[in-house]
Amino acid sequence: MTQAMRQMVSAMVMMGAIGLVSVMGVWASAGDALYQAAQEAAKAEQYEVALEKFEAALTVDPNHLVYGNAYRQTVVKINDSKTYDRCIAFFKQLVTDHPKAANAWMNYGYAYVDKIPIEGAITQVLLANTALGHFSTAVELEETWLSRYTRGNSYLYWPAIFGRTPQAIADLERAIKMAQETTQRSYHVRAYIALGEAYWRLSNPDKAHSIWREALQLFPDNEALKTRLELDAKGLNDFLTAHFEPSRRVDTNVSIIWEEKD
Amino acid sequence: MTMAARSRAGWTWLTCGLAGLAFVAGVQAQSGSSRSQMKFEEIGAQAGVRFVHSTRKFTGKHKADVLQMFTDGGAAVAVGDYNNDGLDDLFVVDSDTGKPHHLMRNNGEWTFTEVTQSAGVGGGNDALSICSDALWFDYNNDGWLDLLVGRFGTPILYRNEGPDQEGKHRFTDVSQAAGLTQFGNTIGMIAFDADRDGWLDLLLGHYFQPVNLLDLKTPHVLPNNLDYADNGGGVTFWRNVPLPDGGRGFVDVTQAAGFAHHTGWTLDLGHADLNNDGWQDVYLAGDYGTDRLFMNKADGSGTFVEVTETATGFDTRKGMNVDIGDFNRDGWLDIYVTNITDEYMKECNMLWHNNGDGTFIDLSRETGTCDTDWGWAAKFADFDNDGWEDLFALNGLRSAGEQNYIPVLLEMIITPGIDFSDINSYPDIGNMTWSGYQKQRLFHNMGDGTFKEVGAAAGADNNLDGRGLGVADFNNDGFLDVYQTNANQPALLLRGKPENPGSWVELKLIGTTSNRDAIGARVIVTAAGESYLREVNGGNGYAGQSTTRLHFGLGRAPQIDKVEIRWPNGQVETLPPQQTAKLINTFAYVREGKGVVSK
Repeated sequence: MTQAMRQMVSAMVMMGAIGLVSVMGVWASAGDALYQAAQEAAKAEQYEVALEKFEAALTVDPNHLVYGNAYRQTVVKINDSKTYDRCIAFFKQLVTDHPKAANAWMNYGYAYVDKIPIEGAITQVLLANTALGHFSTAVELEETWLSRYTRGNSYLYWPAIFGRTPQAIADLERAIKMAQETTQRSYHVRAYIALGEAYWRLSNPDKAHSIWREALQLFPDNEALKTRLELDAKGLNDFLTAHFEPSRRVDTNVSIIWEEKD
Repeated sequence: MTMAARSRAGWTWLTCGLAGLAFVAGVQAQSGSSRSQMKFEEIGAQAGVRFVHSTRKFTGKHKADVLQMFTDGGAAVAVGDYNNDGLDDLFVVDSDTGKPHHLMRNNGEWTFTEVTQSAGVGGGNDALSICSDALWFDYNNDGWLDLLVGRFGTPILYRNEGPDQEGKHRFTDVSQAAGLTQFGNTIGMIAFDADRDGWLDLLLGHYFQPVNLLDLKTPHVLPNNLDYADNGGGVTFWRNVPLPDGGRGFVDVTQAAGFAHHTGWTLDLGHADLNNDGWQDVYLAGDYGTDRLFMNKADGSGTFVEVTETATGFDTRKGMNVDIGDFNRDGWLDIYVTNITDEYMKECNMLWHNNGDGTFIDLSRETGTCDTDWGWAAKFADFDNDGWEDLFALNGLRSAGEQNYIPVLLEMIITPGIDFSDINSYPDIGNMTWSGYQKQRLFHNMGDGTFKEVGAAAGADNNLDGRGLGVADFNNDGFLDVYQTNANQPALLLRGKPENPGSWVELKLIGTTSNRDAIGARVIVTAAGESYLREVNGGNGYAGQSTTRLHFGLGRAPQIDKVEIRWPNGQVETLPPQQTAKLINTFAYVREGKGVVSK
């Protein structure tokens, strides 16, 4: 078996495990050649070529989370307003043409999140709110651990004054339940971390600590959990306040989902 | 290395080098229990100056509630010695219909006498105009401070006629004759000599475009974008010119001066010589859009070139205030801009460190001056005379009932296709609170490139809805005091009573060939091996004009070694050593070309 084939099988297994069955089989498609060409162009910093190839690959397979993720990470690397707008416009057309493609909606939402750090405070609100709407569409089309976690995390970024933290808790608890019903993956810890942060938002640090301690039993080596549990009240407050700073980029690279090995 | 990284590295070098040396000396001089501390005592009521400001109440077919919310300013103060008695007086602005302002003559020893009526300067809040700001400046160089009242309307220029036979000062409205008849929604005003011709020019900052909010023809008068609005009032620039009758007036030269393309929502203006070339430059703080920096072309034309892109970059924050000072004593003037930082919006203030190469870098986070909640006026001043300029920053938008307006506003903001410019889009605020009950911040300059917030310990952390600051030494005791105005709330007078203060000197400059107020003059005082830089400004700071005297805290210096003055016309004058030696811990007048004079 070639290395490429082994990667393909590994990716298929991973995606199946997290419920992204709709992307199975795409590695052998025409989209894959375009994707590989796009990756090479991006590596060579030929960004215009890379963007065109990624868009072509996604046009072939709109629901491909891997293609969309790589496309967006390239856009983030370019990091200018015009390119973010291009990415948003591309996904807008993609979901218009393929309204049932859940992962396209996920990428569409992430594209808005990706632009937030370079925008003004009010525009940040509008981008975040639009992203939330697209994540909701993705959840409705295909409920996965990733879609629930993403939307829950998205609600979590809203200050408590806006009253969206309970919705974050509901989504994150659902993601945790879904994770408990499958093979444990290292990234599943993120839902526990975020759920604790939601309770911190609600000024309930005891509950937050309880969730993080419970998670530490499942993920004993996780540094993010340890950091949160080791901080005193003020330290945790300062840490999480900085963590949720709107100008701080939210990592929307979800490649860990298919890169994690058994 | 990016420009920002280069700049940051440069700043580190500067603090470790030039300012760092000064810091070591300063700390050694003030170590342990001898360290000075800022303290204030609020005495507004006993001094008779605790005036309650009222914002304009709207009526009519358009949403009065929303219009009042958007014009929730005007609580302004202007400090100036209008009668030349050696004591800084107060002019306090009100904004509601028919409400008079207050001209308060300083009697010394913390009593003031209201002379508004006899002076004839109480008016301006008529049915179609809202008073919003005030500025003392001697527009005709006759030696008496004149008074400009800014309005959402046409400005009012009062000429100070000097004392009558009874010693009372009377003022005459000369707005029309002086050419100040153009309508504008003016929120900020500064006076400086842009072309160094010896006469003070005027830069007016306008919030709304020039439509009368009290007689609205269209509801589309609000910002067309909440981060990138370009439908504001911009600024107008007025050159001081001779009139046929021998008097002085103003002509609108906004286009020629290079300001016409700015159509943002100006909230405040600041001027200073930012590149050390001897000419006054301009910083504009804009709401709903980027701040802008204009450099003087330095050719005597009184025209400017915008350098925002290369100097600071474009921002999308809510610039509320401009003040300028050399916070790290590196010989380059820095800029402090307040923005909005609250639970729901994390804009952070900007402390633009002047890199000395035409670029600035925001060091508000590094210096600890980032978060002052919903910012308004902020002023640099050395309140404890330790030789380092501190920062006093006002906060708070609207303190009212328990319900918070922000979630209500959010629903409007995220409504698809909403027209932000339409006043009908905005929900009524009623009795809701919006960024209210926020405490003022007093930042003690630690002399190491950082500030420490000491508002509570200093007695300056009131939670009123602050707007304007007038900083001055009202009783000539060598300690700076603060007059704080608040929207729809009583003003405060904070008497400075620092503990273990350093030594000081205060200089009132009088121009002769330069403009009489010496606005734009730069003074460098040298004492105990340290140099302290100040410039006379003509109204920097939101809704407030502070004293035009230059106040220097000098740490533990036992004497002053040198005083060098660069007058606004560019001439440099060094005070004779025998005069300099007597200046420590005194207030002195210095006349251009004459050195220290009795008055």
